[in-house]
Amino acid sequence: MSEIALVGNPNSGKTTLFNYLTGSSQKVGNWPGVTVDKKAGRLKGHPNVSVVDLPGIYSLSPYSPEEVIARDYIMGGNLDAVINIVDATNLERNLYLTTQLRDMGVPVVVALNMIDVSRSKGEEIDVKELSKWLGCPVVPISALKREGLDDLVGETIRAIGTEQPVPKVFQPKVEEAISAVSAVLAGSEPDGLLRWSSVKLIEGDEAEREIHADDLAEIDPIVSSLEAAMDEDGETIIIDGRYNHIAAMVAVSVKKPDVEVVTLSDKIDAVVTNRWLALPIFFAVMFVVYYLSITTIGGWGTDWVNEAVFEEWAIPGAEQWLTDMGVNDMLVSLIVDGLITGVGAVLGFLPQMLVMFLLLAILEDSGYMARVAFVMDRIFRRFGLSGKSFIPILITTGCGVPGIMASRTIEDDRDRRITAMTCSFMPCAAKLPVIALIAGAIFNESPWIAPSLYFIGIFAILFSGVVLKKIQGFVGTPAPFIMEMPAYHMPNARTVAISSLDRLFHFVKKAGTIIILACALVWFLSAYNWSMAAVDVADSMLADIGHAVSVIFAPLGWDNWMATVATVTGLIAKENVVSTFGILFGLEEVSEAGDEIWANVAGMFSSGVAGYSFLLFNMLCAPCFAAIGAMRRELGTWKDTALAVGWQCGLAYAAAFVFYHFGTLATGGGLTIGFPFAVAVLALLIWLFARPMPNPEAGADEGVVPS
Amino acid sequence: MTLSFANVGETGSIRKILGDDSSRKKLMDMGFVEGAEVRVVCRVSGNLIVEVKGVRIAIDGSLANRIIVG
Ligand SMILES: Nc1nc2c(ncn2[C@@H]2O[C@H](COP(=O)(O)OP(=O)(O)OP(=O)(O)O)[C@@H](O)[C@H]2O)c(=O)[nH]1
Ligand SMILES: [Mg+2]
Repeated sequence: MSEIALVGNPNSGKTTLFNYLTGSSQKVGNWPGVTVDKKAGRLKGHPNVSVVDLPGIYSLSPYSPEEVIARDYIMGGNLDAVINIVDATNLERNLYLTTQLRDMGVPVVVALNMIDVSRSKGEEIDVKELSKWLGCPVVPISALKREGLDDLVGETIRAIGTEQPVPKVFQPKVEEAISAVSAVLAGSEPDGLLRWSSVKLIEGDEAEREIHADDLAEIDPIVSSLEAAMDEDGETIIIDGRYNHIAAMVAVSVKKPDVEVVTLSDKIDAVVTNRWLALPIFFAVMFVVYYLSITTIGGWGTDWVNEAVFEEWAIPGAEQWLTDMGVNDMLVSLIVDGLITGVGAVLGFLPQMLVMFLLLAILEDSGYMARVAFVMDRIFRRFGLSGKSFIPILITTGCGVPGIMASRTIEDDRDRRITAMTCSFMPCAAKLPVIALIAGAIFNESPWIAPSLYFIGIFAILFSGVVLKKIQGFVGTPAPFIMEMPAYHMPNARTVAISSLDRLFHFVKKAGTIIILACALVWFLSAYNWSMAAVDVADSMLADIGHAVSVIFAPLGWDNWMATVATVTGLIAKENVVSTFGILFGLEEVSEAGDEIWANVAGMFSSGVAGYSFLLFNMLCAPCFAAIGAMRRELGTWKDTALAVGWQCGLAYAAAFVFYHFGTLATGGGLTIGFPFAVAVLALLIWLFARPMPNPEAGADEGVVPS
Repeated sequence: MTLSFANVGETGSIRKILGDDSSRKKLMDMGFVEGAEVRVVCRVSGNLIVEVKGVRIAIDGSLANRIIVG
C-alpha cells in the first residue's frame, strides 16, 4: 500500500485533481480555503495506492487550523510521494512551497496545473528546464480539462521509492551555514529531514529549536555569524533566498507575452469592490438568489411537485395501493398520513433547494466569494471580526455544517470561535422551506421575507460577536486580513452540476433517514391519546404536549400548540418544521391543495407580526443536531458548545419577543401587556452590546498560531 | 513610504516589512519579499487589493501600513 498526498497552494486545483484521480465528488470552488480537512481515496486503476487531498498551504508554516492539518500530515512521515500541484499561471509564488517540499527528502512530482489557462494567455513554459532546476519530474496538466493526467499518474508511481537530488537553492554563504548546522545535527534526525531541520533552525523556528535544545549552543553561533554577514534575520535570509532562486528559475524557463493588459478580473474588481457599489451589489446578488429560488423558478417547481406529484399522485396512489393489498389500516395511516405526507412536505421543496444550490455553486466557482470577504472586512472589523468570517457565512447559506467547518480558515483563535458559534444564524437551505411556507401563507409570497432574514442573520452574527467576546473576556483587535483574490472565471458546468446535485442528494438522504424517523414519531404521537386509543389530532398526546409547552412561546405572539410542536421538532432538523405541519394538517384532512395548507398555517397566527416572530425564532434558535455536532468539533468542548446553543436560543427568544411587541404596536395593534418587558429586554440587549469590556488587561495577545 | 500611501495603479518595489510577528512571515510566505514589485489594484477605505508576483492579494490597512515600498 502506497500513500500519495496532493500538496499545493490554496485554489491551485488539488481537489479537482483528487476528484478525477479517485472518482470522488469533494467540494471545488474558486476561492482559497475550500478544502478544510484531509480526505483519502483510492487511485483509480491502482487499488493499492491511496491518494490524500489536503487543505491548501502557502508554506509549511501553518497559520490556521486547516493549514495545521495539512502540515502535520505532510510531516507525519507516512508519505511515499507528493504530487505538488502548482498553478502554472503563477509559478513565482507557487514554486515557493515546492522549494520547501524539495528540502524534505520525500519524492515530489510537480503537476503544472491550469496549463490550459497558461497556454491561452500565450505563455510558454520550458518543462525540461524547470525539472532540471527542481530536481524532480514536472508534468503539465489541466485537472479541469483532464489533460496530461495519465502522464502524471505514471510519473508519480515511478517516483515512489526513488531518491531525488536536492537542489541547492541558496547562495553559497547560506548553503555553507546549512551544511555546518547539518553536521551538528547529524545522527539526531533521519537523513531525509536533515536539510529541512537545518534550514528551519536558521529561520529560528521555535518548535525546531525546542526539539534541538541541546545543540543550540553549537548552532546559534553559526546562525548569528550568517545573520551578521548578510545583515538580515535568519527568517528573511531563507525566504528571500527561496524567492530569488525561483525568480532566476522562472526567468529562464517561462516566456510571457510582453503585452501588459488590464485583465478582466481588474475590471470586474473595480466595480464589485467599489466603495459605493460593493454593498448594493452584494445585496442585489443575494436578493436575486432568493428571488429565483423561492419566489420564481424554484417556487414554480415546488408548486408542481406538491400538486402533481404528491397530492394528485403519490398520496392517493399509495393509499389505494396499500388498501388494495389488504394492509392493516393503522399501517396505511402511518405510511400515508405520517411518512409520505411528512417527508413529502419536505421533498416538495427540493426544486427550490436545487435552484438555490445551483446559484450558490455558480457564485462559489466564479471568484466572487473572496471579494465579498474583502468588502465585508471593513464592516466586520468595526464589530471585532474580520472579513474572513464572511466565507463561513456564505457557505452556511447552503448548509451550516460545512459553514461551521469553514471557520477553520480563520487564523485568529477568538475570531474563529466566535464565527463557529454564530454562523448558523444564517438561513440555511433547510430553513428555506420554513421561510417559503410562512412567506406564502402569511405574506402573500413577498420576495423580501427571505432576504430580510438573511440580513438579520448577518446582523445577529455581528451583534453576538461583540457580546460573546465581552462575555468570554476576549479583547483586542481582530487579526489582520490577508487573502488571495483568485482570478474570476466562467463557472464550470460540471463543477456546478456536481456540487449542486451532491447537496441535493444530501437532503434526500436526510429526508429518508432522520426526517422519516421524526415523521413516524410525530404521526404516532398525533394519532393516539395517552391510553393508546386512536383519536383526532386535537385530542392526541402531541396536542397535550404542545399545549403544555406552548406557554413558553405565548409571549412571542404564538401560543398555538402546532406551531410549538413544529418548532421543537425543528431543533432536530429544520426540515421537521414543515413535515410536522404537513402531518398535522394532513391528519385534519384538509391538505388537498397547497393554498389550504397555507390557510391552515395562516390560521395559527393572530397577525403577520406573530407569523414573522415565529420565523425569527425558528431562524435564530439552535440550528439542528448536525450543526451542533459540527460546532462541538470546532470548539472542542461541550461547555463552549452549550454556551453557543444557549446564546442562540436566548437571542432568538429575545429577538422574537422584542419584535412581536414592538411590531404589534407599530402595526396598530396597540400596547400589549408584554410591551414594558419588551422594552426591558431590548435595553438589556443594548447594554450587553455597549457595556465596556469587563477586564481590559486579560488576553490582549497577538494573533494565535496553533501548532 | 508605506503601501498605504501608494496610488491606485502605481507600482513600487518592497523595501521592508515592519514588525515581527506571524503576519509578517505570512506576508513573506505569500510573496511580499524585499525587491518584489507591488501594484495597487484597488483601495476601499484603507483596505487594498495589490498584485504581487502575478497574484492579487487583499490586505487590510494595518498591514499596508507596515509594508515599506520605494
Ligand atoms: N481552467 C482551469 N481551472 C481549473 C483547473 N483545475 C482547477 N481549476 C479551477 O480552479 C478552482 C480551484 O479548484 P479546487 O480544486 O477547488 O482547488 P484546491 O486546490 O482544492 O483549493 P483549496 O481546497 O481551496 O486549497 C476551481 O474553480 C476549479 O474549477 C484547470 O486545470 N484549469
Ligand atoms: Mg480543495
